[in-house]
Amino acid sequence: MSDNTRATGYLPAWLYLALVALVTTLGIAIAMALRPAFANSVLEFLHLQATPQAARNSFYAVRVAPLFENHCISCHGERRQKAALRLDSYAFALRGGRHGTVIRAGDIKHSELMERITLPPSDDRAMPPEGKTPLSPDEIKVIRLWIGAGASPSIKVAAIKGAPRLVRDVAIPNFDLAQAMRQRATLAAEVDRLSRRYPGLLSYQSRNSADMELDASSRGAAFGDADLKAFAPVTSRLVRIDLSGTGITDASASLLAAMPALKALRLANTKTGDNLVAALVPLKSLKSLTETGTGATQASLASLRARGVTIYGDGDAK
Amino acid sequence: MIPSPFLDQCRLQADTRRQFLGWGMGGLGAMFLNSALAAPAKPGASALQIKRDPTTPLAPLPPPFAPKARRVIYLHTGGSPSQLELFDYKPELIKYNGKDCPEALLKGKRFAFITGVPKLMGAMYPFHRSGKSGAWMSDRLPHLEKHVDDLCIINSMRTDQFNHAPAQLLVQTGDPRIGHASLGSWVTYGLGSQNQNLPGYIVMISSSSTTANAGKPLWGSGFLPSVYQGVQCRAAGEPVLYLDNPKGVSRAQRREVLDAVDEINRGTFRQLGNPETVARIAQYEMAYRMQLEASDAMDITREPPQVLARYGAEPGKTSYANNCLVARRLAERGVRFIQLYHWGWDSHGTPVDQGLNVGLVDCCHATDQATAALLTDLKSKGLLEDTLVVWGGEFGRTPMQENRGGQEMKYIGRDHHPAAFSMWLAGAGIKGGMTHGATDDLGYDVVRDPVEVRDLHATMLYLLGFDYRSFSYPYQGLDQKLTGVKPARIVSDLLA
Amino acid sequence: MPNETPNTRIEVWDAPTRLFHWSVVILIFISWLSADQGYMKVHLASGLTLLVLLLFRIGWGFAGATTARFSNFLHRPSSIFSYLKALVGGSKPLHAGHNPAGGLMVLLLLEVLLAQAVTGLFGNDGLKFSGPLALLVSADMSDRLTQIHSLIFNIILVLVWLHLVAIGFYFLVKGENLVGPMVTGKKHRAHVPEGVALVFTHPIVALALLLLSAACAAWILF
Repeated sequence: MSDNTRATGYLPAWLYLALVALVTTLGIAIAMALRPAFANSVLEFLHLQATPQAARNSFYAVRVAPLFENHCISCHGERRQKAALRLDSYAFALRGGRHGTVIRAGDIKHSELMERITLPPSDDRAMPPEGKTPLSPDEIKVIRLWIGAGASPSIKVAAIKGAPRLVRDVAIPNFDLAQAMRQRATLAAEVDRLSRRYPGLLSYQSRNSADMELDASSRGAAFGDADLKAFAPVTSRLVRIDLSGTGITDASASLLAAMPALKALRLANTKTGDNLVAALVPLKSLKSLTETGTGATQASLASLRARGVTIYGDGDAK
Repeated sequence: MIPSPFLDQCRLQADTRRQFLGWGMGGLGAMFLNSALAAPAKPGASALQIKRDPTTPLAPLPPPFAPKARRVIYLHTGGSPSQLELFDYKPELIKYNGKDCPEALLKGKRFAFITGVPKLMGAMYPFHRSGKSGAWMSDRLPHLEKHVDDLCIINSMRTDQFNHAPAQLLVQTGDPRIGHASLGSWVTYGLGSQNQNLPGYIVMISSSSTTANAGKPLWGSGFLPSVYQGVQCRAAGEPVLYLDNPKGVSRAQRREVLDAVDEINRGTFRQLGNPETVARIAQYEMAYRMQLEASDAMDITREPPQVLARYGAEPGKTSYANNCLVARRLAERGVRFIQLYHWGWDSHGTPVDQGLNVGLVDCCHATDQATAALLTDLKSKGLLEDTLVVWGGEFGRTPMQENRGGQEMKYIGRDHHPAAFSMWLAGAGIKGGMTHGATDDLGYDVVRDPVEVRDLHATMLYLLGFDYRSFSYPYQGLDQKLTGVKPARIVSDLLA
Repeated sequence: MPNETPNTRIEVWDAPTRLFHWSVVILIFISWLSADQGYMKVHLASGLTLLVLLLFRIGWGFAGATTARFSNFLHRPSSIFSYLKALVGGSKPLHAGHNPAGGLMVLLLLEVLLAQAVTGLFGNDGLKFSGPLALLVSADMSDRLTQIHSLIFNIILVLVWLHLVAIGFYFLVKGENLVGPMVTGKKHRAHVPEGVALVFTHPIVALALLLLSAACAAWILF
């Protein structure tokens, strides 16, 4: 009895809940007024506002988005949102951050983004901040032209005049030594054995891969079909072979034909001929073939040429 | 131990201040580094460093990532050819021929020899579109023109040096001062030598006339161990001076001497740890192996007469043509970095052999056929697809006629011009049949797609399978790079 | 309100628990404001203080006064559910300390705040500031924990809102003021069940626990 009494409050429960709903909505409204970024995400969540998207071939997508990706999204993207600003999509970029929008369409002077990227590097507010690669004058020009033309999601590349030429970025391959080691593991013992028996002929193409190259040209005529056969265990990984000036003959045709990764083959000054060439025809990976000083005829090379394989032969030396 | 002032000095030099501090601080430093507060190292950074056994400095190493180029043939046109007479077509300049150079182009600029107000001068030779690509070339290089669709002509090269030696050092070592490692040394350091019986880096020299030059530091190893320096070979006479044994010394006796010297050097290395000691061992051993192979490689009489004729090579003489043929033979034998220097392109117009109307003609004549023959041969042997061929000087020449001392000169010439010059590339990974970049109407400044020397180096290293940012050697407290400390970029437009 | 006589109010909340509660309120507010405005040193200080206090509270939950102990207010989910049913039904079961729902809230808040403090130790702000333990993990992990830190903040906001709604519910609908007792420590007799024995641990124990918590934090950091 004494552990339980009747509730005696001031408001009925339903009224209270209504009050809570009202106050909460008021609170969210105030938050939206104070934080525009929050306002936008709420509106988009309620589908009261469509998420603007940039066309795939628009100036934004082709020229501006890659710049943001290279210089900005490490701190203003999915992983981190400094100052609640994201620049990894058109919608986010236009939405702005904690202190309001950073891009004002058509108004370069009042676009905070433009101001930040053109500040001197010593300024505390300069973007990207010290330690990150700054934007080049050409890149700043691209962004300026885009904002000046209305920061549109649809305007085409050609429609914006005077943009600096798009320079292709060169991607240096990722260096994953551990993965290369794992890939090399399967043939490692064979490679070791062959390196001992034929020192200096077999090498990995790069430290980053398990692909291999075989260069027997230094051995001259002493290197023959039997020697090439010794490399049979590693043929799955051979991408380049140089047999210039060696003693191999058409007898190695079947061995060479069974190399699925072979891209370049040099047979200059060997006693090989059309039989070997014919055996190479099914090799899909082959990109270049040197037949200078061999017995191969132009006719037999025709089918390889037709497939796009670059053939170097006697005819090239005028 | 026999007391020796020399050895004592070696020992003292080995005990550098840095080493002393290192040993002293080793205890505390090691404790700090091992503590939990140590920042984790950048992943993969140490994996990229070249790790070499100092006793086998020339052992071949694969590059970090798959290369397009496996060897480089660098044709340095020493003295610097006039791009306005060869590759950079400026029809506007012809209109201004003979007129005074505008003030704006002279104000605040420093010239090597021009003083006062020189006169503008249009190209002395006619230009035309060539090959399938339609690249502009003058009529001075008719043989090279046949290969124009394989060439990537860069008309927007830039340097900041206006004198020969610093400019050559910049192009060859990445820095205008002596002491830095040359391009070939870097490549040999990074890749080793494919053919253990020949040097990995060979230099050959020819000339049409004398030119001021920086000399041996251009192919020196700088701060890299000296085993990586370029070896100067000659196409006539002894391939390498003093390579052969002296009269009366047999090969077996030479071997005995070398073995004894090896033993002493190894002992010194164990004691002092100076990598130069084992570099010396490696060089002696290399010289011993070279005795057999170098003469064969450099002997152009082994080539059939039609090949000699194609190059214009004459055995027994020192000539660019002979050097080109040797270069091809060396390329076939696994030498990774071959450099040909041809001096005499410095067309100031002072002596007759340096006038645009005489000296330049001679230089073109001496080199054009052989350069073209080299490209042809490399192509037919399937070597061009993985050989990077580079041709160029150290700066450009002015659109103004040189007026040394303010006087009109006897022969026609142009002064040094760092603001714009032309080079061409061909071969591995290079997009042929194109011209990159452009200068203004007068050919004075680069207005489109400038390529700094360090950008060219970055691109070359990329083609060889190296990241120019991480390919470094620690020296004097800095991780020294070929491209230096200023930001460089790989010029993607040049790549196929 | 009936006439207040001294024995109509019973002490239910001990001083350390009360001090803890209000300090946490202030510190949450300070942490929020300092992070929002970029005063990271203040944020670090308030976060570390929160961590110490949370460790203290956990210890106090085993060694403290009756109403502060976890055993007092942590119930099985079924009990919590039946309590809520009774509440909605109009009755008001009496408890000396936290009721079952309140107990759940305390548990959630403590867990979430602890998670927040811990992830904060490893986080970074993308510029020059990072948590004291950020160097122990990879940059990627630090970023991920920073993201979680931001996410948990939203959860804290929701829980605080829920907490305030609940307090308001008790006051306006059930007529029971919960704020007053958390300040003064005393509840009206009418709101406390009969025959409940409340033990109050000596303040010295609280002090000792506080020092122990501070020492633990110091050990984690150094």
